[in-house]
Amino acid sequence: MSSLRVFKASAALELAQLRGNRAFVVLTALAAVSFLAMVSLFGLTGAYAPVALIDLDGGPYAKRLVEALLGAHHSFALKSMSPDEARTALYSGRLVGIITIPAGFSADVENGTTVALDVRIDNVNVDLTNDVQRALPAAIVAFGRRHQFPGVRVQMVEHDVIPHDTGYIPYLVVSALALDAMVIAGILGAMATAREFEYGTVKLLRLSPASQAVMLAGKLAVSAAVAASALAVTLVAIVFVYGVVPVAPWTTAFTLLACVAIFTCLGAWIGALLKRTLAAVPLLFGLAMPFYIDSGALEPTRFDGEVIWRIAHLSPVYYAVGVLEWAFHGLRVTPEPIYLNLLVLLAIAVASAALTLGRLSKGVAR
Amino acid sequence: MIGRIWGMARNDLAVWLRSPAAIAASLLPALGMGVLVAVLTNSVGQQPVALVVRGHGRFAQRMARIIQGDRDAYLLEKMTSADAERALGDQRVAAIIVIPENFDEALGSGDAAVDVYLNNVNIDLADDIRRSVTRSVAEFDAPQLGLLGELHGPARGVLLPNPYRVAIAEHDLRDTNVSFLQYQVIPIVVLIVISIGLLGTALLTARDFERGTAKMLVISPGGRLPLVIGRLVGGTLITFALITPLVALGFLTRYIPYCAEESEAPRWLTLVLSGPCGWRLPVPSWTHGLALIGLLTAVTLTTVGLGTLLGVALRDARLVTMTALNGAAYMFFLGGGFTTVPFLPDWIQIVSRLVPTRYAIDGLRQALFYPDLIGFGRDILVLSACAVSSVMLASLKLTRAWRRR
Repeated sequence: MSSLRVFKASAALELAQLRGNRAFVVLTALAAVSFLAMVSLFGLTGAYAPVALIDLDGGPYAKRLVEALLGAHHSFALKSMSPDEARTALYSGRLVGIITIPAGFSADVENGTTVALDVRIDNVNVDLTNDVQRALPAAIVAFGRRHQFPGVRVQMVEHDVIPHDTGYIPYLVVSALALDAMVIAGILGAMATAREFEYGTVKLLRLSPASQAVMLAGKLAVSAAVAASALAVTLVAIVFVYGVVPVAPWTTAFTLLACVAIFTCLGAWIGALLKRTLAAVPLLFGLAMPFYIDSGALEPTRFDGEVIWRIAHLSPVYYAVGVLEWAFHGLRVTPEPIYLNLLVLLAIAVASAALTLGRLSKGVAR
Repeated sequence: MIGRIWGMARNDLAVWLRSPAAIAASLLPALGMGVLVAVLTNSVGQQPVALVVRGHGRFAQRMARIIQGDRDAYLLEKMTSADAERALGDQRVAAIIVIPENFDEALGSGDAAVDVYLNNVNIDLADDIRRSVTRSVAEFDAPQLGLLGELHGPARGVLLPNPYRVAIAEHDLRDTNVSFLQYQVIPIVVLIVISIGLLGTALLTARDFERGTAKMLVISPGGRLPLVIGRLVGGTLITFALITPLVALGFLTRYIPYCAEESEAPRWLTLVLSGPCGWRLPVPSWTHGLALIGLLTAVTLTTVGLGTLLGVALRDARLVTMTALNGAAYMFFLGGGFTTVPFLPDWIQIVSRLVPTRYAIDGLRQALFYPDLIGFGRDILVLSACAVSSVMLASLKLTRAWRRR
């Protein structure tokens, strides 16, 4: 029997199985979009702390101070409120703080008198508190520099390594693509092999005169193709909904396909080891988050320390995020050059495919 | 009747405890999220920065001391220019702060600068550094704009004039600060409750249909009602059996060495211990303790009811697993897990009002971290309503589904 015919037959069988499990496939694809939505929600909390503003002055300097607060490095979402409303909102956790500009602020500033802003902070969360504590002086400095008050002797001069700033959500959604590839391709790959054990059809595979490696290749090719289609939907959402367009489309496509290949094979291996879809799916879900975080998904991994950075090299997601951030935004988030990340991805794809097929064949033979 | 209910509940508990796959399905995603939070704790707030001091004058040294003193903002390392450039290129630091050679001379003419070479890879990281360096630089001319000045200057009635003409009188709402990890531990607890309650009960129910044991339940002399109640009690017991040790652990981890902030443990050890150390829940007063138990019970019953409904509706373990994992993730994020709901756009805030986990997370944070119980009445009322309605609906649907077998 020719290998091509075996491959085709195996692929057709797998496709029929997936057709019979449409709901499962749809839910897997939905998980991909869910991750995208979730990292976006997380990204939204990285900036613009909700803070009440009580302006008891209303003068020109108060207005300029409000402008400075609004321009303080994406720090505040100011909400004008009455003192009572603000107090209630603060005590019920709906605000991070209250800034009160006192009456007579403009007149005092005009006269060269230093005025204290009353700032009440709900310091329940250190991270939010730190952000507000650091942003307030930044706003005050911007206010002082704008009016060129005498006595300011030092200023910060910023030199950016990258000519443009990249928004946090556009950064996060690109790295979420690698996470999506891991979850979708991994689960579909695991399902392809675990099902053989669950349904007892592994015995038929064992008795078949055809090459087991080719049969497995046919099954995994279909799983990978379905995973790639689901990932394509996510990619379209990123491009058209988020407006993030890759600067290197071919590299993006190649990287995503490599990710699909790697994670389908790894998923298949996990499925063959655990022999149950029910065990493999949560394991992949559980592994996804730590792998994702230790991959430069939120910021270059090396900023988190040498140990974390070294560990990150064990995860293919690290290389994938490195290439994808470059392909989409032109950013380098790994110290390794992009071509090296690409080569590692390619090597992992080839090695994991060979290793998985080998192991699965052995598993089947037993 | 009680004996039959207990028999069914005990059977479900035994089946579940003998299903490592089900336990893994319930716990692994939540534990994955826990690892995520632990790592995030180490990556938020402080960024690695190189300090290059080229100036040798006393003002340059003073500027350097101010920057080095802000330990909350930076993981600072003093370097030579060449080393710092290499470190920036190798991504060992996110920025280089340079105090130039002519700093003292330029200061005399009111034109001194502190240069910052910033790897602005994304605005979250870049803005953290911008804010921090701006504050350090401002502190040179206006010492009260530093952290100590914000907390202990005008707020204590000591207002020094500064050239920016504005100072900050910061008043914190509470005496103790809750770490990022502690704050985020609450949603993780809720996620575990959702995962176990929803997925555990849904899998037990689906399993009965898949294996045909639902038929045996229907024809058993026990009667349908005790069995239905037993299923719900079983789901609740399973959730309590796993959540109680976890919450108890939260009150015990304060005894782990190296968890103190001033601990000088190596970074890798801090990272390894950050999970258990972060799982440190403040000991509540008895009123807040009761509130905590009430909320956990209400959210458990809600998820057990929803899990039963899911199991009846799908009757397939794989579909149940995927649906429950997706559903738990949405309930987690929309309820305020890893997010702070007031930061989100208005329409998402409205959607989150329809998610029971929001009330659970809000209520638990209020009970554990706040001195009063503002909003607790609303939270427990909504959760209790959700619990009663989901349990009643689940009982009805399960009775009907078994009758049809």
